[in-house]
Amino acid sequence: MGRLLNVKRFTLGASAGLLALIGLLPLSVMVAYSFIADGSIGVRHYVDTLGRTRAWTLFLNSIALATFSTIVALAIGVPVAVLIAKTKMPFRRLITVCFSVPILIPPYVLATGWFEILGRDGLVSRFTSPSVGEMTSSWLFSLPGAVLVLSTAFLPVILLLSLASLRGVNPTLEDAARLFCGWPLVLKRITIPLALPGIWLSLVLVFLLAMGEFGAPSYLRLSVFPVESFTQFSAFYNAGAATAASIPMLLVVAIGLLAGSRLLREGTHYFRWAGSQVTPHHISLGRFAPLTSALVLIAALVLIVAPCAALIWRGFSGTAMNSALLQATDSIAWSLLYAGIAASGVALLGFFLAYASQRRSFAKWLWIDGLTLFLFAIPGTVIGIAAIVTWNHPLTGWLYASPAILILGFAAQYIAIGTHGIAAGLAQFSPSLEEAAEIAGAGWFRRVATILTPLSKTAITAAWLLTFIFCLRDSSLSLLLSPPGRETLTARTMTLMANGSPDVIAALCLISMLLPVIPLAIFGIAVRIVRKRA
Amino acid sequence: MIEFAGVSKAFESKPVLSAFNLKIDQGERVVLQGPSGCGKTTILRLIAGFLAPDQGSILIRGKIAASNARICIEPEKRGLGYVFQDLALWPHMTVFENIEFPLKAQSVSAAERRQRVAEMLGRVDLDGLGDSYPTRLSGGQQQRVALARALINRPTVILMDEPLSNLDEELQAALTDQILRLHTEFAFTLVYVTHSKEEKRRLATRSILLRGGGAVED
Amino acid sequence: MMNARRIVSRLSWFAFAAVALIGCRTARQETVTIYVSEDRVFSEPILKDFERDTGIRVLAVYDTEEAKSTGVMNRLLSEKNNPQADLYWANEPVRADVLRQQGVSTPFKPANAQQIPEKFKDPAGYWTGFSARARLFVVNKNAKFRPTSVLSYSDEKTRGRSVIANPLFGTTTAQMAALFSVWGDDKGKQFLAALKANRVKLSTGNGESADLVATGEFDFALVDSDDAVDRMRRGKPIEIVYPDQGEGEPGLLILPNAVSLIQGGPNPANGRRLMEYLVSPETERKLALAGCAQIPLHPGVAPPAEIKPIDQLKTMEVNYGDLGAKLQAIQPVLKQWVGY
Repeated sequence: MGRLLNVKRFTLGASAGLLALIGLLPLSVMVAYSFIADGSIGVRHYVDTLGRTRAWTLFLNSIALATFSTIVALAIGVPVAVLIAKTKMPFRRLITVCFSVPILIPPYVLATGWFEILGRDGLVSRFTSPSVGEMTSSWLFSLPGAVLVLSTAFLPVILLLSLASLRGVNPTLEDAARLFCGWPLVLKRITIPLALPGIWLSLVLVFLLAMGEFGAPSYLRLSVFPVESFTQFSAFYNAGAATAASIPMLLVVAIGLLAGSRLLREGTHYFRWAGSQVTPHHISLGRFAPLTSALVLIAALVLIVAPCAALIWRGFSGTAMNSALLQATDSIAWSLLYAGIAASGVALLGFFLAYASQRRSFAKWLWIDGLTLFLFAIPGTVIGIAAIVTWNHPLTGWLYASPAILILGFAAQYIAIGTHGIAAGLAQFSPSLEEAAEIAGAGWFRRVATILTPLSKTAITAAWLLTFIFCLRDSSLSLLLSPPGRETLTARTMTLMANGSPDVIAALCLISMLLPVIPLAIFGIAVRIVRKRA
Repeated sequence: MIEFAGVSKAFESKPVLSAFNLKIDQGERVVLQGPSGCGKTTILRLIAGFLAPDQGSILIRGKIAASNARICIEPEKRGLGYVFQDLALWPHMTVFENIEFPLKAQSVSAAERRQRVAEMLGRVDLDGLGDSYPTRLSGGQQQRVALARALINRPTVILMDEPLSNLDEELQAALTDQILRLHTEFAFTLVYVTHSKEEKRRLATRSILLRGGGAVED
Repeated sequence: MMNARRIVSRLSWFAFAAVALIGCRTARQETVTIYVSEDRVFSEPILKDFERDTGIRVLAVYDTEEAKSTGVMNRLLSEKNNPQADLYWANEPVRADVLRQQGVSTPFKPANAQQIPEKFKDPAGYWTGFSARARLFVVNKNAKFRPTSVLSYSDEKTRGRSVIANPLFGTTTAQMAALFSVWGDDKGKQFLAALKANRVKLSTGNGESADLVATGEFDFALVDSDDAVDRMRRGKPIEIVYPDQGEGEPGLLILPNAVSLIQGGPNPANGRRLMEYLVSPETERKLALAGCAQIPLHPGVAPPAEIKPIDQLKTMEVNYGDLGAKLQAIQPVLKQWVGY
């Protein structure tokens, strides 16, 4: 290891620098601006904003929305995860797919789907009476409606993380208990407590995601913090006030993350399978199997299939789809392009940052982990506003007016997927594999290309896909940062919502729903072909 | 006590046991040996009820426990103790709670549980460690927790799957002595899987070599 | 394995080529950047027509519903030292005049607007009005009470039966500013207090107001003419009432669209060209026929069938420039009134 210019050190240092540039700098600039009011330094924005009761009402609304959404998602997600992971319930695969679908769909699209069912002129109103429609509509456009949408939107997070934790429980630990008691007690005392850190983590994540969500509450006209900060900012462009208003929110995020990281640290030792060869158990449900399966399928049908089907029913008419496609071809291309570039950037930058954090290359590696998670959890509106405040200067006008600002925003918000996902991949193999290549004389980039990348390619691919999907379903960054004339599909749909034809909007929502499926399908087919040849 | 009658078991169409017969009497200390993958652990798991034989029957105390791919007596009703190869101590429970669990599952009163666990801790030389978590203990201490948990509800049969394989020779010797002492005290039937000749020499009243899906008495 | 790598590398080259191609296409092409407060459904087709007719690519930023048509104006203000837009298409002249006051726009008098009455244009040419909306009542056909004046909101007979959009946003802000400047501040504040006392429902926007009247939940609402026409064309049981047409009454408020040229924009020549296009009789005709049912300001261009021509309406005499200052001045009053 040379002490002067070492290529490895330079790459890792540059990556950390880039993270600081796209993440830390904008947030710092934004906070700095919040202390400038009318040309002098002071806390006026804070006094003005936090002194009003409305700021706290919004804050409480946000907390209520996040809490209830998390509880509902938990109440459905964890039992379903237990049934899938631990029992021989029929149609487990179909059920997993059904309940995972919402991760591909922007939450406001789900809200639009529910509007087709519960809205004033929705299906319910049509099949019953306008007064029932009136009732369901006012229900949808309030806290319960938003809870319905967000809990289904984030159900996959709880389901998939709980599934992973439940499957990670060493089956021998369950065997040890089965000698003394039946499955119900085994699940209660052994399996679920052991999976608890993962389940808790999913709850913290869902809470933060629901709290920061902009699209669905905005569509449902629910006054929560992200909607209000977006409205305030996009209507008045007062970044100082917007920052001040977001401080309580950012504190909650920080507390949530601290709790989450503790859970992860405590939880990891449970997941090591001590070399056990035992395959996981599947509990027989006996004669209750068909009934259980039917109940779960009905839940999936009502919660997930119904809003999607309503959108298809509304938007799939030839003319609507035709006119939506005609208007939106450009936006579809831009959406895919931005998401693709952002995902590639996140995969690349995430790889080096993951390496730095996993191998403890910096004394301050913990900061990288913390900062990336913080950026992931704060509302997109905050990142968007920070980017505008930072780059809106004559010197950086080229960046400000180009798609780069949106791509940097995406990268900042979703870099955690890259760093944490790829770090998990790097943790799967011993550093000695790289050291062997180093001793054999391979330089840093050769080691990256021939040892590290191939060994962690699953993690890199997964991080790329997940980032890609998250960028496609993003709404707040899209709206705030899309460059003139080159906006994303989400930005187009949401700017059309004022006075746009409901059929065309449904068709546009349908397209945004299907958009992430395309790369997933291509990827799936590619994997299959490669496997077949191998 | 335990009887295998024409038991066959295959994993992913790879046969491990075929038409296997075995009879183990009350109080015996049977040591199972054989190359990796010959079915030693499978026999223990069949006795415990974690697996069902594809064909044939398993009888425990004269009753059919499992037969032709069906479990007739669930594991918790077979009255067995099991020391797993990786010990399977529950990491989220203290030593005390680990040992207490079998009693709790049988709804033994809290006072009796406390008394019996304390007594058991003394018997396996773990006094004062009840409040520790298993991950904080040394290998030998963990081993004794596993033993204590297997013995706490006084089972008539104890299954042990290479329980001492990760320990040094001195500890192995000390622990085999302890197992023998406890065997005298509790008079259980022991089915013991090991690769170690030394352990076999010290423990076995009878030893069985498994090979090619069948058994050869040593 | 080799195959997989080859596929990936080919795909990346393809993606790279696609990006380069799109990048070059945009770089080579003539462009004009416009920020638009008018609803996208109506403004975008006009801009597409311009693209088709001239070959100049229009890069547009539209307001979302949340930004309530103040978003792009504030964005233009914040970009004063880093201008990115050539034009601002406002859906009313008040905000266009704010840009004049703040030194963001630059004068230009399009030749195509010569026929448009002077009162709908900035005298110095900082903004030019075209295709207008009128602020009028939608009234449910089954309503017991028919409003005649804006003051009907404070009439006790209408208690709890009327609705108005949040005055912090959109055209209702301009309406309030106009009333305050015609009446004076004291009468304006009294009017606001009377609205509250008379339990006037506050909606999120004019569209929602019109819907609430269309369903019969409320009897009447002050909305934009396009909201009213849209509901009528959809067969809703509503009719239009033109407020304050009587002797001694101030008349109804007309809010034309307004277009401003931005100081220091990247493509001023194309900006002027697009501005000429927007204020032409042809564009006014299209906007009259479109769903937004705008009222043409050029004499001789036919209005939408549902609306009287502008010369048959008594319109409020306001100076749109002063309205901007008034709007800023009454902002705290309105914020407090709404409870922000």
